[in-house]
Amino acid sequence: METLRLKIVTPEGEIFNDDVKSVTFPGEEGEFGVLPKHANLLSLLKPGVIEIEKKDSQKESIAINWGHVKVSEDGTTVLVDSAVPLVGESESDIAKAIKEAKELVQKASENKAALASVEARIEKAAKLI
Amino acid sequence: MANLKDIKRKIASVKNTQKTTRAMKLVSTAKLRRAELLAKKSKAFAETLNETLSEISYTIQQYKIGGIEGRFFEEVEFPAVVDIIFVTSDKGLCGGFNHQTIKTVKNLMDKYRSKKVKVRLKAIGKKGIEYFQFNKVDLEDKIVGLSSSPDYKKAAEFIKKSVDDFLNGGTDKVILVHNGYKSMIAQEIKINNILPIDINGLKMKETKSMLEMEPEDSEKVLDSLIQKYIEYNMYFSLIDSLAAEHSARMQAMDSATNNASEMVRKLTISYNKARQESITTELIEIISGMEAMK
Repeated sequence: METLRLKIVTPEGEIFNDDVKSVTFPGEEGEFGVLPKHANLLSLLKPGVIEIEKKDSQKESIAINWGHVKVSEDGTTVLVDSAVPLVGESESDIAKAIKEAKELVQKASENKAALASVEARIEKAAKLI
Repeated sequence: MANLKDIKRKIASVKNTQKTTRAMKLVSTAKLRRAELLAKKSKAFAETLNETLSEISYTIQQYKIGGIEGRFFEEVEFPAVVDIIFVTSDKGLCGGFNHQTIKTVKNLMDKYRSKKVKVRLKAIGKKGIEYFQFNKVDLEDKIVGLSSSPDYKKAAEFIKKSVDDFLNGGTDKVILVHNGYKSMIAQEIKINNILPIDINGLKMKETKSMLEMEPEDSEKVLDSLIQKYIEYNMYFSLIDSLAAEHSARMQAMDSATNNASEMVRKLTISYNKARQESITTELIEIISGMEAMK
């Protein structure tokens, strides 16, 4: 199984660095997915959810408020301002993560319709955990 | 005899102070380590950002007629207004750490004032604010608490006003001054001209193949990246300054502890001398008393 290297960095440090199967980004001009051997690309990201399919086919979601992604031969690098990974050990942890993620997106975006769709996504992602 | 007691009290007091300074040194060492770690972690972001920025500017320079242009790069030959943002600590007892920054800011201010340029000061940190307010120098903007606990969002907010002013012509140049971390025992003043961005300072990195951009307007992508670049620079100077502050305090407290030991040593000698003296006097008194009895 071919994989691609995904790296997500925030000003506070790296939050994700691993080989993954595929990843979906909330691009400025629409959502797009990246698979191994994707063409070189540089895109701005808008508030939303990054969906990652890990090596073991496990899904992971990370909510972001802004960012940009660079896809190149050596891997995919994402720069974000702040991010909230939607993971947790227990129910209350997950609930907390969802709340934080929603707040993060709410602060970054004023578009109500976009906001609603992002929130729906966050909920959906949370259910998969 | 009162003299003896006085010296004893002094020794006790110096020893007490020494305890405090030693504890502060230990605390600073621990905090320095944490600040260093923070700076190290955040380097990953800086590297990626710089790399992307250089790649994108290379792409634009290569494929766009006229090269890069935009407000962020416009150098004004004779600036009318200059913003100086400087970072000082919130707490004292760190040697000449803040004073160095303040001195540099004052020199810069004098330099621009002599050229009839309006200087606007924006202060971060209590010590710098107190100094300029005491000397009746107007501050355009000030914030306390940011330098002791750096926060990316607050830093971005703080610098945004300057960036906005720069974009609509309110200011022509933005300079960032802070006392940065060099090593465990040394700090150095860093003066960073963050706006306008020196286009030659951006290292162009050749990309192996054409980068596809989304949105297609590559300048929009660049603008957005540059804004992050500026915000990040602000944030980085905060964490750099914090690390430097702790290293300065560590040093200051170390020398204070040493000075205290030296003082205790000297006081002990004079205490012993005084004790000997009093014993000698007593002996003389007794002997002369005995002599008189004969």
